[in-house]
Amino acid sequence: MRARRQSKLLVESPSSATGDIAFNLIVFFLVCASIQPDAGRKQTIPKSETVEKQEENENIKVEVRRTSVLVNGEVTAYNQFQDAIARKLAGKTNQTEKIVVVTSQKDAPYKQWILVTSQIEDAGGVVTVQMEEEREVMLPQ
Amino acid sequence: MAMGDIAFNLLIFFVILARAQDDSHLKWEPAEASNLEASDHSRASIVVDKENDLYLNGQKIGVGQLAGEVEDLLGDLPAGERTVLLKIHSETLAQRFEPVLEAVSEAGGELVHIVEPESQ
Repeated sequence: MRARRQSKLLVESPSSATGDIAFNLIVFFLVCASIQPDAGRKQTIPKSETVEKQEENENIKVEVRRTSVLVNGEVTAYNQFQDAIARKLAGKTNQTEKIVVVTSQKDAPYKQWILVTSQIEDAGGVVTVQMEEEREVMLPQ
Repeated sequence: MAMGDIAFNLLIFFVILARAQDDSHLKWEPAEASNLEASDHSRASIVVDKENDLYLNGQKIGVGQLAGEVEDLLGDLPAGERTVLLKIHSETLAQRFEPVLEAVSEAGGELVHIVEPESQ
């Protein structure tokens, strides 16, 4: 009677391959780590010099403050800003009419600034940032 | 076996080299915004961290040098490929981040604000 042949399966990899396995694992994890994309928001900010001076008065003006936001001088709470800017931009079809000049007080945090500018863009507005030094008033001589 | 060791050491060398330009070690909290999209590959990444320090591709830099450095990095790249990633700590004040925006704009960079999706 023939004895049943026992199948001998390889239960452990050869020790000479350990280095190769480790190397391939490192490469795998490095590739995984490097392809993780960041989520972001694109923003095109034209320089304020490109906004024609004579039209500046007709533009919507938004001032970002620490606790509130001013829309054409009117104090608005952050949670009401989206509706307020949508109302101001409603009916404006021309691209130049949609320009919103954004200024910020020195102590306005970035989280409020990005919230305001993204809500302006979502409402169809074109954000133009006016910096502190550009707001200097020239006194008549 | 020596071949494996050489390859391993080369890999470690390139990883360390890449870390020098990496900014993942910097501490900053992203702000929140809606309608986000995945950002493209970028040659320039600017960070303003919790300590209010400014970094370009992981290297500390002054705001006065920023426009020139970004311009050098972007070179003659065509529009659409001049992306500059902006990672600004959510509590950074306007007096700090506005000159950064101005410098990127001056260098002809296309801003992508790295933020988190708005929590409901």
